[in-house]
Amino acid sequence: MPVDLNLLIGGAAGQGVHAITLPLAKALMRQGYWVLGVQDYQSRIRGGHLFNKVRLADRRLFSSREGVDLLIALNQETVTLHQQELSPQGLIIYDAAEVKELPGDVPSLALSPENLLPGAAEKAEIAVNAGACGAVLGLLRVPLAPMLALLQETFGGKGAEVVEWNVQAATKGYEQAGALAGGLQFICGYPMTPWTSLLNAIALRAERYNVVVEQAEDEIAAINMAIGASYAGARALTGTSGGGFCLMTEALGLAAVTETPLVIVVSMRPGPSTGLPTRTEQGDLSFVLYASQGDSPRAVLAPGTPAQGFALTAKALNWADRYQLPVIILTDQYFGDTQFTHTPGEFPEVQVDRALTTGPSSGTYERYAYSADGVSPRRVPGFGPDLVVADSDEHTPDGHLTEDLAVRVKMHDKRLRKLKGLVQEMGGITTAGDRDAALTLICWGSSLGPVQEAVARLEGEKTPARMVHLSELWPFPAGPVAAALKGSKKLVMIEMNASGQLNHLLRQETGIKVDHLVLKYDGAPFTPEYILRGLSGMV
Amino acid sequence: MLPIELYEGLESAWCPGCGNFALLKAFKQALGELEIRPQDLLVVSGIGQSSKFPHYLKCHTFNGIHGRTLPVGTGVRLANPELKVVCVAGDGDCYGEGGNHLLAALRRNVDLTLVVHNNQIYALTKGQASPTTDQGQKTTLQPQGVPYPPLAALALAVSQNCSWVGRGSATDPGHLQDLYKQAITHRGFALLEVLQPCVSFNRVNTYQWYRERAYRVEESPGYDPENELWAYQKAKEWGESIPIGVIYRHPRPILEEAHPALAAGPLVRQQPKRDLNQLLADFF
Repeated sequence: MPVDLNLLIGGAAGQGVHAITLPLAKALMRQGYWVLGVQDYQSRIRGGHLFNKVRLADRRLFSSREGVDLLIALNQETVTLHQQELSPQGLIIYDAAEVKELPGDVPSLALSPENLLPGAAEKAEIAVNAGACGAVLGLLRVPLAPMLALLQETFGGKGAEVVEWNVQAATKGYEQAGALAGGLQFICGYPMTPWTSLLNAIALRAERYNVVVEQAEDEIAAINMAIGASYAGARALTGTSGGGFCLMTEALGLAAVTETPLVIVVSMRPGPSTGLPTRTEQGDLSFVLYASQGDSPRAVLAPGTPAQGFALTAKALNWADRYQLPVIILTDQYFGDTQFTHTPGEFPEVQVDRALTTGPSSGTYERYAYSADGVSPRRVPGFGPDLVVADSDEHTPDGHLTEDLAVRVKMHDKRLRKLKGLVQEMGGITTAGDRDAALTLICWGSSLGPVQEAVARLEGEKTPARMVHLSELWPFPAGPVAAALKGSKKLVMIEMNASGQLNHLLRQETGIKVDHLVLKYDGAPFTPEYILRGLSGMV
Repeated sequence: MLPIELYEGLESAWCPGCGNFALLKAFKQALGELEIRPQDLLVVSGIGQSSKFPHYLKCHTFNGIHGRTLPVGTGVRLANPELKVVCVAGDGDCYGEGGNHLLAALRRNVDLTLVVHNNQIYALTKGQASPTTDQGQKTTLQPQGVPYPPLAALALAVSQNCSWVGRGSATDPGHLQDLYKQAITHRGFALLEVLQPCVSFNRVNTYQWYRERAYRVEESPGYDPENELWAYQKAKEWGESIPIGVIYRHPRPILEEAHPALAAGPLVRQQPKRDLNQLLADFF
């Protein structure tokens, strides 16, 4: 019988919910299970309910799902809030000191610090956590030895800081690893959930990878600083979340007009304004496509899997250099906080293409020389007498400001021409399911996993369906997308926002009109079940 | 000594008689005396009349957006610590739009020079009050007079232990040239504010107004720029008499030293460390 179990570990913030999850997930993974973990937390330091879900199966997992088979409750609230999610075979493991009321008809297992670790009251929380892990593994008939080693790794003689570091490293590594593999040299930013975790993870490794990490005084400073570093020749990245990106938009245009390579990670959360700070949404696509005044070139990417997160970040750095423009990577809280299981080989070697001119001086260097493809040879200061003159004003090829209107048109055309070359490289289409199916589900970014699982379940129910997932969104690869959708009888757009932002883009760029939209904007991630409910009546 | 013709840039679009001309000439002379070649210098600017400065020079140039000269200059220094960086801003640009960056720069102590052209008015937008317009002065936007006092930016800098604080004046170009030299060669963040008459939109703070008030502070008795309390008093002095010269010196470690990656020189010349196996072991 196939294994597919959902574990929910809940408690108050600060009770060790995260500290329990990671060793448990790792132990299960080392026993050969595919594991996928998602986090749910509130915008506060301690107190407030938080929970992690760990799904384990004997086959590859792309998404979390609804339902709870094993509820691990470190406090009463976890039982109260989640007991109705328990499956018919569900079981509760609970901290006896905290949980007093249990549903009568559910089998349960009590853990108490005294039983588990006599005479070490100050470590009570850890003892309960470890006990819960052990109980889970016992129930699953997994040997305890690897788990104990992992607990030692997590708690043994290390401070709380290190524990926190371990959790973050394992959960949010894809873009960071992709950035470092892509030769990142400079990163700066202002703290904002959920983008902060990426900045923190690089900061911890700055010395090892020779990266300059600087905390900026605000997002305006962050993007201008990154532009300065890139102008000087460093591979540079900054990032933020929605509200911070609002502050960055003026300098987004500065990167475009000065043709300064830059990668900006925008980690989405529900808006408008402060919205739901620790929840997830795909509501900033339209914003990043059109932000900043004028016709301002940029590229927009949105990875759907950890492997795409890794590869696209490295690619973004190359494209930024090659086309001398800002490249935005759209991610979200769900994607950033989810733990996926990987196999070796999913993260291939990447090439670094700086596209810099460092040879001998021509004596007549012009930073913005007109060219057929719009890309001008890029030099940086420090390689001889050629002067690098960059200007936010409209400028002549030598970089100085001008009000010559003919030059304005010629220079603007040159900048925008670069997108014609870039769009030729764009694709990023992932498909799954039956290629001849009449029903096609279209999605982008982090929705890939839940949509892929929805498609698999439809097929299991003898309803052929297909997924078309887009990860490279601007300049829009209209030809490849139209080709991928050709032949489908019913098109359904699946997005985590209220207005169907990719739907608008698809219509605008290809004229294709979808038959149905499945949208979600309550701040919680998609589940395959939610998508299937949204399709009822269609299938 | 390099000839100042080496730094000749575009023809200026400043108003005839603009105080900026004296600053441009003194700056070029300082560069020539310091033998800084155009290729060794980056001038970063924002938006305002002052920010056209690098176009009228010959050197590496980054003319960015309003208020943001300091973060761009900081980013450059944190990528290439071998490049001499001078950030140019106006009083509105730096003390108004970019105020938060000044606060951060005072703490960071990046090795760059910030020159604030202070004409006590918004000139590019034709005459509104700037953060340094005197209280009571009538402007196009404050016809009843500016209701609050000007920002004492140099006192703020001293209070935060800015590593070098000075003030020059367009009315004393020889003195200004020497201040440019000192600020540029100072190791650390140097804030040089330069009084600069706007002949079109500020009819109060004229050449004569500055000439009557500006005095060389180093020639006054008790000159003590290493003394924080003395410096603070001098930085607060404004009105009937205005000190010009080096007001405060407080050497301290520069930010570049705190970034180990910069020990090996400009990042662009370095090979990034990106071993895939190490990365995967590190992250997964």
